[in-house]
Amino acid sequence: MTTPLLSVSGLRASYGPVQVLFDVDFQVAKGSVTTLIGANGAGKTTIMKSLAGLVAPTDGEIRFEGRDITQVPSHDRVNSGLCLIPEGRLVFPGMSVEQNLRLGAIAPAARAGHNQMLAEVFDRFPRLRERRSQLAGLMSGGEQQMLALGRGLMARPHLILMDEPTLGLAPVMVKQVFETIVELRDAGFTILLAEQNAKVALELADRAYLLENGRVALSGPGAELLASPDVRRAYLGM
Amino acid sequence: MDTLLSGQMLFAALVSGSLYALVALGLNLVYGTLRLLNIAHGDLVMIGAYTAFWMISLFAVPPIISLVVAAALCALLGWAVYVGLFRRMLAKPELAKRVEANSLILFYGISVILQNLAALAFTSTSRGYQYLDTVITWQGVSMTGNRLLTLGIAAAICFGTILFLRFHLFGWGLRAVIQRREAAQVVGVNLNRVQLLTICGGFAVAGVAGVLVSMTEQITPFMGFPFTIVAFVVIIIGGLGNIGAGVLAGFCLGLVETYGIALTSPGYRSILIYGLFVGVLLIRPEGIFTKAVRS
Repeated sequence: MTTPLLSVSGLRASYGPVQVLFDVDFQVAKGSVTTLIGANGAGKTTIMKSLAGLVAPTDGEIRFEGRDITQVPSHDRVNSGLCLIPEGRLVFPGMSVEQNLRLGAIAPAARAGHNQMLAEVFDRFPRLRERRSQLAGLMSGGEQQMLALGRGLMARPHLILMDEPTLGLAPVMVKQVFETIVELRDAGFTILLAEQNAKVALELADRAYLLENGRVALSGPGAELLASPDVRRAYLGM
Repeated sequence: MDTLLSGQMLFAALVSGSLYALVALGLNLVYGTLRLLNIAHGDLVMIGAYTAFWMISLFAVPPIISLVVAAALCALLGWAVYVGLFRRMLAKPELAKRVEANSLILFYGISVILQNLAALAFTSTSRGYQYLDTVITWQGVSMTGNRLLTLGIAAAICFGTILFLRFHLFGWGLRAVIQRREAAQVVGVNLNRVQLLTICGGFAVAGVAGVLVSMTEQITPFMGFPFTIVAFVVIIIGGLGNIGAGVLAGFCLGLVETYGIALTSPGYRSILIYGLFVGVLLIRPEGIFTKAVRS
């Protein structure tokens, strides 16, 4: 097996005295969609924030493209191609759509040719082109999710971390977000997806990890987890 | 009525407005990016004022050069405060939450220390000097050179900063940090660098304001506090962390103060300023120039 693009081993994290991650191990292979599923509070967002450098793990190692990045500051991680689409979207509400996108390319590695990238993002999300001069804070949740995705693509990521991209969206928008994920995968992007919507996430995942109380409870190909009686009972309501 | 419509009056209002805008600019930058309530901000104005006074008294260096010296001195202080006090705390989210709440008290302590050090070193005698105080008359408006210089420099720094934030990539990063600190990190803004440069810049601007004030007003170790208060009033009127609106609010306060006093009496100065402040808090607590956006 070739070296995975991202490899996490023994990851632990705490908020104050409360430990939320216990020796989490997982890998993301290049070109794949990997998903982390689990209930609210299972530790998905904490893992994503640890990967992006927003939460400092108390123990463990994060290797990205063969390099240990556990102690690397967040802006350096973006610059090396690791990009988080955060939970809650976190667009810059007082800036226009275009400014939000251009800020996505603020990392030195993404600056060259960012006008061309902007055109690509506009082609992928025509809605954003229509609304390029509108304030991001005035857009709907679904449009903000498109913007957050577009902003992430501006950084020319080698790995896209998507944290709960469908949270709080209308069903029609949820469908559209998943379609976009498939499109991105087909375009060759590597994606790590944290998702509460286990069924759809498992259907499109090459590999999946089930988190329970800050631990990896089960892992395997997406289809395998989808067929597992435990997963079906606890997470899919079947 | 004639005085009200005179250019003289407008000039006076613009001079005080530009100073308010400048003092508030530094406070707003520091609050916006670091979420620190710098209650010692006015004391940096005092430090700048003393710098100009001693430079001209001891070395005959004109205030126009002291501007640079005071800016450098205050920037150095900003660096010391950031590296020595806040960097480690801001790096840890759980501590950063408390830093924001505690910053008021921390800076109050710094303020008391600075005021008393100044009183010890320079005594509390008021000081002053004369610089460019000949009257220039242009289009029937009489102006002293020092006030003209104050208006020119303060306005140039304020509008220069606004342009920088609008058009320079670093300025965009700074605005990103003000709007959404975590999102700024997500897109790859170097938070540490933005915060350090902002605190240095914010402090330096206060020092510059101090030099400008010293050209026309008396200097004492305790002159800073009223500037802190005015700066807070201005940034709350404009909207916390909203840099452009803060500058506009500074000029508005200068206009309201000058014309208000002309229409009533100087005894109403505080009532006018705080009346405006309380009025804004009651009617538009998010600031009068802040656009409503969903976050």
